Amino acid sequence: MSEAVVLAADIAAGHDGDAELVVTVRYENGVVGVVSLDADCAFDIMQSCGAASSADLVGRSWHEVLKGV
Amino acid sequence: MYDILIKNGLVIDGAGTKAVLSDVGIKDGKILAIGENLKGGGRQVLDAAGLVVSPGFIDPHTHFDVQLLWDGAAKPALEHGVTSIIPGNCSLSLAPLKAEDRKTLIGMFQQIEELPPAAFTDAFEWTWETFSDYRAAIEGDLSVNVAPLVGHSVIRLWVMGADAQQRAARPDEIEAMQDLLRDCLNAGAVGLSTSFVDVDENARPVPSRFAQFQELDALCAVLGEFGRMLQIVPEFYDTDITIARIDQLAELSLKHKIPTTLSPVFDNRQSPNNVPRTLARTEEQTARGARVWPQMQTRPIDISFSLLRPSLFFARLPSWVKILRLPVTERISALRDPATADRLVADVGEDGGERLMGRLIVRGGGEAPEHLVGRTLGDIAAERGEVPARALITLSLENDLEIAFLAANGGHDSTDRIGPMLANPLVHIGASDGGAHLTSFSTYGDTGYLFSEFVRKSGALTLEHAVQKITSEPAEIWGLKDRGMLKTGYAADVVIFDPSTIDRGIERPVFDMPGGGMRYVRDSIGVDTVLVNGQIAWAKGAYTNAQTGQICALA
Repeated sequence: MSEAVVLAADIAAGHDGDAELVVTVRYENGVVGVVSLDADCAFDIMQSCGAASSADLVGRSWHEVLKGV
Repeated sequence: MYDILIKNGLVIDGAGTKAVLSDVGIKDGKILAIGENLKGGGRQVLDAAGLVVSPGFIDPHTHFDVQLLWDGAAKPALEHGVTSIIPGNCSLSLAPLKAEDRKTLIGMFQQIEELPPAAFTDAFEWTWETFSDYRAAIEGDLSVNVAPLVGHSVIRLWVMGADAQQRAARPDEIEAMQDLLRDCLNAGAVGLSTSFVDVDENARPVPSRFAQFQELDALCAVLGEFGRMLQIVPEFYDTDITIARIDQLAELSLKHKIPTTLSPVFDNRQSPNNVPRTLARTEEQTARGARVWPQMQTRPIDISFSLLRPSLFFARLPSWVKILRLPVTERISALRDPATADRLVADVGEDGGERLMGRLIVRGGGEAPEHLVGRTLGDIAAERGEVPARALITLSLENDLEIAFLAANGGHDSTDRIGPMLANPLVHIGASDGGAHLTSFSTYGDTGYLFSEFVRKSGALTLEHAVQKITSEPAEIWGLKDRGMLKTGYAADVVIFDPSTIDRGIERPVFDMPGGGMRYVRDSIGVDTVLVNGQIAWAKGAYTNAQTGQICALA
């Protein structure tokens, strides 16, 4: 069983007009899901895992990324 | 003789039946007759040749609770053809509310509606505590019809005080909430709203979010006594949780024999399965007999930002993110540093940001110079002899970072996808949020956009179907008695509009809130005349003095 991994990290418009980060994750069991993060949370996880940009999140371990939440 | 006789219009009755050329006769606030060449004349005759005559539009998700205290027309909703509104969504209403809890509720309302503080201190007298007294406070001056929800958060606040935002309720408190809700429903509330998402001005969850399921179940039992609506804000950013909420609503609907609705539901490219999965589960629950209505807005969502706060708009530009996360004074210093600015401009690419930033629109309402408002950054940059990225920095610095930019159509923006969703019989068109998010974006004109984008442009809905979706369907879903159709004996809520031009205008800032507060609005286009309970409330671009709006009677 492979670990959960970030498949995509895209910017989308949130309900309140702020940009949100929509992270697509493939979990250990193969299920693919999306998680929406607000700006503060998204910037925190990017900083925590050393991602220079949102695109750098792609391919990373989801569990490692979550340590920044 | 009719009070008003509307002649020669293309009558769309709201039931989905085909439009017919006909006259509409109105007397004593009601539709008295519909037919060809009605005889008897009218004290006032309106020639609707070339125009559609339809029932007034119903907006089921608004936050006009406060505005109604000084503006009974809920401007500019009425001029868009909206004749009935449902305020009190998302767990927040202005009643019932004890005097000592006003400050707490104002904080929550300011967070959601973005009203200026003066709206709560200068614009009206707090004359009520109970729901019936709030009703009395607004009822005499209405130009639009109102079917108010009562908010779960204020019910909790009344019964539990400050504990409402700290803990689950005890059995005796739940019983007190039931009694209070019953009083509100007896006073004309159309249902109960609750939220699993909203926060107050200090980012604390609103009181409804501290409720356990047995509390919601007990309140729904009271709704069941009246057959009234439960509205919820689900965790809309997560499809799986939204589906769980649909299941929960279905159980409550079946157990208590009540209608339920969840709003908002969005579509976007990043999570394309969200709406299909939501609707699939809704279909399954509907097949079981549950009444669960997902609400979907018509308008796209725009991304708005300034350099005052770090925005994810820059999430793919590491050098920009680094600068924008600095404290404001350091951020401004960094942006003023020529070498730093050069590096930021270089990092957007060889086109100087033309592709990424060129179509950004300068928004009004902040410190933006008037002559720049509404123009694209690419246009302004060319005029200044700069590339767009440079212009974004210099314009921001020239205005103390208080200049906002708008990236249009950032989500819920695929007409080809959303048209069929709106046409889906499971989807309740709504979620406008009218009267909320005042300083972020305009929440008016969604009905005009329905016709311009999804009837005329894409053809996803026929004219008759579009009218039905925002008239008889919401009236039936919410139990608004004798509204939503052009039918003999029904309330004469009527919109006369040009089907070839009806639309929403461009978004623009106005400073018409109490204390000179700003909000974004959109003017109506193609709406000729709006009647509320048989009186002309808006015609040819102007409001009248008619105040014939009512608290909606319920079926």
